[in-house]
Amino acid sequence: MDKTALGVVLLLVSFQVFAQRAQGELACKPTRTDFIYDCTIRLQRGGQPLADVQITVGADMPSMPMAHNVRPVKAKPGKAPGEYQAMLDLEMLGEWAVKLRLGGPVKDQLVLLYEFDEKGARPVRRGDRPPRK
Amino acid sequence: MDDYLIGVLTNIGLFSFLALSAYLLLIAGEMSFGQQAFFGVGAYSGGVLTTIYGLPLPLAALGAMLLGALAAFLVGLPTLRLRGLYFAMATLAAAEMARILFELLRFQREIDGEVVGPDGTQGFRGIRWVFERGVEPEAYLALVWGLLVVALGVFLLVERSRLGATLRAIGEDPELARSCGIGVERFKLGVAAAAGALAALGGVLFAHHNTYIEPRNFDIMLGVHSLAYALIGGLGTAFGPLLGVLVDIGVLEGSRVFQGYRMIAFGGLVALLLVFRPRGILDETMVRWIRRRLA
Repeated sequence: MDKTALGVVLLLVSFQVFAQRAQGELACKPTRTDFIYDCTIRLQRGGQPLADVQITVGADMPSMPMAHNVRPVKAKPGKAPGEYQAMLDLEMLGEWAVKLRLGGPVKDQLVLLYEFDEKGARPVRRGDRPPRK
Repeated sequence: MDDYLIGVLTNIGLFSFLALSAYLLLIAGEMSFGQQAFFGVGAYSGGVLTTIYGLPLPLAALGAMLLGALAAFLVGLPTLRLRGLYFAMATLAAAEMARILFELLRFQREIDGEVVGPDGTQGFRGIRWVFERGVEPEAYLALVWGLLVVALGVFLLVERSRLGATLRAIGEDPELARSCGIGVERFKLGVAAAAGALAALGGVLFAHHNTYIEPRNFDIMLGVHSLAYALIGGLGTAFGPLLGVLVDIGVLEGSRVFQGYRMIAFGGLVALLLVFRPRGILDETMVRWIRRRLA
């Protein structure tokens, strides 16, 4: 009986984790070339790192949608599980909506809002609420 | 096809709906700086209909087009009483009001354990209808261009019909058209509603392509560009706006030659064309010349 209950609980927990959406965050450093950033992407779902995901990274400017066509790049696996590396070649500094198209075991699209400047990138804050991942 | 090319072509297609919407009003003699508002109405309403109400995309697009047409009709009722610059300013003001309304719009529901819906300045995430059905970028590109071809076909049919002749008559001389018994005001309201529906269709497709929208997407820059595309491409044919989009996004942006300076090149191009070809590259004279050559 106990084993059955434990099994049900485990199933529910795993379903809960599976049902949760993937979340991502970026850490970007500027390179020596203007507007090119070396970015580390961290992906997780339900607090667990998401490994072995194929990521295509693109970007668009929210203030001028569709007008900036940043060449999408494939992210490479990083040093830790759930970490990926990509070089982003943006056209200018400012606020960018970075689009992560996930393939492989997870199919999803995440849009992360980041402000890119000479020092790197930081999440965009709107009002008094924390940035969404 | 390479991801970059798919992205560029999809963006050209999406922008073309907005440019065609501005073009429709231009040939009726009105310069609107506010078509981005109806693009936004389409994006938000289409997104809400698929994510919160679970409607399939075709039905959501239809609903969004109706709402876009209604919004354009309501904006047109007071603004179409104005002429020229005053109309342009009024449409710009209406579009800014719409953008501020999008900033105030909060309508969220929990669907499958995730809170979705417009969240004011935080934007509207998770418009995943297309994505969840496994529609690949190539297929979505085909959908966008398929609908654009249908829209262009309708335009070409209308332009060769009595309706098209009436539209151009109103655009060239509304007083003369009125003296011929044409109901100019009612006609222009109909044109405004049709242009609103077309912009809204572009908006729905944009929202489902991007999966995320926010009020800033629909600010004045989008409206100015759509108008500029119609003016650059030309007012002689519905292919004009498409040419305008191709010149800016396809050539200036796609070639990357003007990287970082594209807006300066684009502004210079608009200024030059307004001086030397005020009705764009494919103006009425050019279209007549092409038709003669083809015949």
